[in-house]
Amino acid sequence: MDLNFSKEDIQFRDEVRDWLNNGGYPEHVKYKQDNDEALTRQDMVDFHKAVSAKGWMGYNWPVEYGGTGWTPTQLYIYNQEFGKAGCPPLLAFGVSMVGPVIYTFGNDEQKKRFLPDILEFNTWWCQGYSEPGSGSDLASLKTKAVRDGDHYIINGSKTWTTLAQSADWIFVLVRTESTGKKQEGISFILVDMKTPGIEVKPIITIDGEHEVNSVFFTDVKVPAENIIGEEGKGWTYAKFLLAHERFGIAAIGTSMRQLAKLKEVVSDLDNSELNKKVAEVELSISALELTELRLLSALENGGNPGAESSILKIKGTEIQQRLTEIFVEAAGEYALMYPGAHGYGSNDKPSGPEFAAASLSKYLNMRKTSIYGGSNEIQKNIISKFVLGV
Amino acid sequence: MNLNYSEEQTMLREQIQKFCETEYDFYKREDVVKSDNDFDESVWALFAEQGWLSMPFSEESGGFGFGPIELSVLFEEFGKALVIEPYLSTVVLSGTLLDKSNFSGKADVIQSICEGSMHVSLAYAEAAKSYEYNSPSCSLSSDMKLNGTKTLVLNGSNAAKVIVTCMKDDLLTLVIVDTNCEGVSQNSFKTIDGQSCSEITFENVSLSTDSIISSGDEASTLLKDALNLATLCVGAEAVGCMTSCYLKTVEYTKGRDQFDQPISNFQVLQHRMVDMFIESELAKSLLFKAMLEVDVDSEEKYKHVSALKAHVGKSGKLSAQDAVQLHGGMGVSDEMMIGHYLKKMISIDALFGNADHHLALFSK
Repeated sequence: MDLNFSKEDIQFRDEVRDWLNNGGYPEHVKYKQDNDEALTRQDMVDFHKAVSAKGWMGYNWPVEYGGTGWTPTQLYIYNQEFGKAGCPPLLAFGVSMVGPVIYTFGNDEQKKRFLPDILEFNTWWCQGYSEPGSGSDLASLKTKAVRDGDHYIINGSKTWTTLAQSADWIFVLVRTESTGKKQEGISFILVDMKTPGIEVKPIITIDGEHEVNSVFFTDVKVPAENIIGEEGKGWTYAKFLLAHERFGIAAIGTSMRQLAKLKEVVSDLDNSELNKKVAEVELSISALELTELRLLSALENGGNPGAESSILKIKGTEIQQRLTEIFVEAAGEYALMYPGAHGYGSNDKPSGPEFAAASLSKYLNMRKTSIYGGSNEIQKNIISKFVLGV
Repeated sequence: MNLNYSEEQTMLREQIQKFCETEYDFYKREDVVKSDNDFDESVWALFAEQGWLSMPFSEESGGFGFGPIELSVLFEEFGKALVIEPYLSTVVLSGTLLDKSNFSGKADVIQSICEGSMHVSLAYAEAAKSYEYNSPSCSLSSDMKLNGTKTLVLNGSNAAKVIVTCMKDDLLTLVIVDTNCEGVSQNSFKTIDGQSCSEITFENVSLSTDSIISSGDEASTLLKDALNLATLCVGAEAVGCMTSCYLKTVEYTKGRDQFDQPISNFQVLQHRMVDMFIESELAKSLLFKAMLEVDVDSEEKYKHVSALKAHVGKSGKLSAQDAVQLHGGMGVSDEMMIGHYLKKMISIDALFGNADHHLALFSK
């Protein structure tokens, strides 16, 4: 056994660090991230274009489709270094979700049409999965697509659609057949967001931000060639996609960065109760980091960690949330003043610690992590069924 | 990076597993625990025969030179079977300390340990000196008279020799004392996990200068490293216990029918068992980190053992409590094995600094 990365992996890590520290990571994006300022759509595009220019956008793609062909360890290092540097998370919807579905199940025409734009970040994708009546029970979805000559006509609504307001395209799970088991009769279709009949309505979350949306489809006419694979096989593709979503879900690099900030904040307070809470979360991060490395090591040796990786989702999100909880506790009575999404307006900043407002914002925002991507309770069902065998 | 056990390490695990499954019956163990004996001499002889008692010693001392990974494998399996034989006390605490020392008489003692013919204990603890082992009240005078009382001496009543921490000329000093010397007296007690420990009093015990193992900084390091390795071992033991706790609980709930169905069908129980599983996996991860860092030449080697000990002290106990809870009434009955894991977890948390103590060390 050996905990150390190989010489090649260390070289790779240094290359990633060098890119991040020496001009690769766009300065204006870095400044905003480091100072907890909101990023615009253009900032996000600039960041992704920079990653793409370096050739690192297809981080989990095979070489034949323009990907990096990295080993699991390289992917881990890449993700951890980006997290530690405080980068915004790379948007998963294109490269990590719909991309692998297209190159695995799509036809040549679709591959040619969509993959290059994903790698170059010319198209911003969003995900049409959840519906008002279909959350964890995703297969109960009702949005309908009816074949009409060369087109499908889509009617229904999707919800919790992250950054739909910025998106150019959406991949949608639709029902093309209503008889039989609910998992059958689902299809996977790609829709241009400019198509008439699509309406995006903001959902404001408890942190005051506009991140997620409702997307309504009224007689939306989509070319039949936009369907992926076979009609009615969408559930298979949907599950395949969710397995790809696991990349970086533990967010250990990001949590390490937050921990370092939290330690600075808490060290000024001389509060033994808070110190203990910080120590506990540091211990959890260490345990989760090794858990991810163990899964990685198994993966590199031809094993298939499978459902065990649900641990990464559960503990990773618990840690992210816990860190923000302690930040808010550290703010003490200043946790009372919350400027929300629009800042302090024409008023001066109040007294009290610098981090107070941002920590409240993050605290509220991070509540989503244990809900999305298959809620943590669903993850426990998965472990129970597939690992414990009950 | 490679976090997979080697073929040899896997074979060692299988060998120990086979022994624990075929030779180490829980009810036989219970008979020993409830008897006047502290452990099973015939089992100890088997350990010697298998070579397990020689595992961690250097080849110069006649050992196999196995490292912390092999020791962790052994203790993980011991934890699953709730082994009571005093391996920790004789081999880890006393044997490895001697092996790493420059003590002139170490060869004979280690050989006797390897053969299984001698037990040695480390007397490191004193009353009212909780977790502070570097400045004992026990003293060795300039004319070599040892005075003081040691407590929680693991397996003390079976030890022919005991290594005692004491102060001599303001320096921490390690001495080795025959327990049949004049002036040595002891009281023995059962521990909560079915083992034994003693309180040993030394009253003007005359020692020769040959009995000094080490003193000063070297003695501090020898003591600290022996305790650190032993802490790693009980951490590994705890990982074994936690693994057994969730596996046995899953098995039990699958076989226990209530309301016309196995109680494992109930989601509230499923999620608690998943929590037990997750905590045991996290403990295993911390064990990997600790055992791979325990031989490095920096403070890191203590830090990661502390992380493991802090985690198992807290979550290991919770897992064992949950195991008892999910076994219902059977969980609290003495004849079932499951409740004995809880006792083991209590003893592990109590040894060498509890969860709070090690969390503080980890975050220093």
